[in-house]
Amino acid sequence: MFRMDLLVISEYILLVALAIFALATIRITTRKTIAMSLVGVSGLAIAVATILILIKNIYGIGFCTDIATALIVLGPVGTIAFSKVLKGDE
Amino acid sequence: MAFIEVADPISMIKSILLIISAFLVILAAVGILRYKDDLQRVMYARIHILGVADMACILALLVLGEFLLAAAYFILTPFNSHAIANAYYYGEEKR
Repeated sequence: MFRMDLLVISEYILLVALAIFALATIRITTRKTIAMSLVGVSGLAIAVATILILIKNIYGIGFCTDIATALIVLGPVGTIAFSKVLKGDE
Repeated sequence: MAFIEVADPISMIKSILLIISAFLVILAAVGILRYKDDLQRVMYARIHILGVADMACILALLVLGEFLLAAAYFILTPFNSHAIANAYYYGEEKR
């Protein structure tokens, strides 16, 4: 009989939850204000990074960690840089 | 004839923490879509909801063994949220 580890099942549950959250953030990104799209992109970056780490844990694909590291570091940096532009000169 | 097998208590705790973070992520996904755009200052509420999802993802990263990534994001995410709120307050809301 096919058996599954409880840890693998919970990883799959988290994967599905993160996929739903990624869709929700994409929906938020398409709203009319620029700050709303910044919120959406910021949420999408962390969701995709966590999905990549889960894929590395489930399937053993090593280079997913590198992409997740780049996303986690460069996502907030890009958001902060764009926020400076959006804020304008004071 | 168990369909689901549990190896040891550590992996059971890990599973529970992953399911908690999945629940929080689902809550954040519902909350971020729930309110309409014409609500006053809904932007700050959405930044707040994003914080819940951020912390859930940090918890998941810690459970999955990526301590450095979790620490890096734990440091970066308050700056991120503050930058968005600050830009919205001085940039878009005042126009």
